[in-house]
Amino acid sequence: MTTAQELREKKQTYWDDVSVGHQFAPLIIGPMTPTHLFRWSAAIENWHRIHYDQSFAIYHEGLPNILGQGSWKQSILPRYLKDLCLPDGWPWKVSFQHRAMIVPGDTITVWGAVTKKYEEEGLGFLDLDVGMRLQYDAESCPGRATIVLPIRGGKPIPYPFVPPKKLAN
Amino acid sequence: MSNAPASTESALTPAVKAMIGVAAEKVEASFDWGIEREGLRIFTQAIMDPDPRYWDDAFAKATKFGGIITPPIYCTYIGRRQRPGADDPVTRAFKENPNSDGIGGVRTGEGKGSLPLVPTPLKRILNAGNEIELRQYPKLGDRIFSQAKYADIKERVQKDGSRMLVVTTETIYTNQNDEVLCILRASQIRR
Repeated sequence: MTTAQELREKKQTYWDDVSVGHQFAPLIIGPMTPTHLFRWSAAIENWHRIHYDQSFAIYHEGLPNILGQGSWKQSILPRYLKDLCLPDGWPWKVSFQHRAMIVPGDTITVWGAVTKKYEEEGLGFLDLDVGMRLQYDAESCPGRATIVLPIRGGKPIPYPFVPPKKLAN
Repeated sequence: MSNAPASTESALTPAVKAMIGVAAEKVEASFDWGIEREGLRIFTQAIMDPDPRYWDDAFAKATKFGGIITPPIYCTYIGRRQRPGADDPVTRAFKENPNSDGIGGVRTGEGKGSLPLVPTPLKRILNAGNEIELRQYPKLGDRIFSQAKYADIKERVQKDGSRMLVVTTETIYTNQNDEVLCILRASQIRR
């Protein structure tokens, strides 16, 4: 787990120093507990009982246990990419699907690996495969991301970020 | 079992096609007081992100963002919170159904900002994936607005010849200056 001090002192990763195949340092979260799941439900006011009421989840819904929320996973991947890009890069976009369920006891490894490296309008782009792997190697949230890292001696990454026309959706 | 029409009959009818581009009303997702510290503290602790950019004024001011920011997609969640003064939806849901799943009767369902339903007999809904595009981090005090639209609807033919639809909605989140913060694209399979 990353600490506040590590994020405060985070040194910039430059586009120049990353190659296709590079694996960024993972973020390890867990083991997850029912309290972690309940805290997320309360934070976003999601009262679906499958996330905090174990009897309901198992005996009414036929689930193996209470389940980790897709919305939580959806928040963790951008958080991971944000950390990779700090202090001056930009976690432009991420897409993903929900696969293996997360249940209490699971430990999650959030990961990212570079699949493509390119330059557009003077900015350094990296395409990544990303995911949230569980302790038994199942993938819970496979996806793809594009981040922008500073090029040594290059122009600053604009903020707010405006994607180059060629790459915009 | 699929609800899909026979294989010769397209699920992408003119009425369904006409939904592409249809937009909902733009609504304010935040409360009148905008983004505040306590909500931000609760959210960041729930994603276990101790980043000082979310709580340390002096440090945040010295960053390129110029002040306290929120996690990348915080703005997509603040519209889910119960407005003060509204009837308690949790009490109502369980009064109506003691076995409520916590979702069925709990949502206030005011419909404001919601998209009209896609006119299809395909009732089964599966999440086909999401995409989040970030342009700017929300800041303390920001007012957040959202507007959803049907960005695309495509037809797919399954192995058994039945048809399904892939419905993609796009929700754009903006601040009080109409600057784009985040774009959420969510795809659902209807079969």
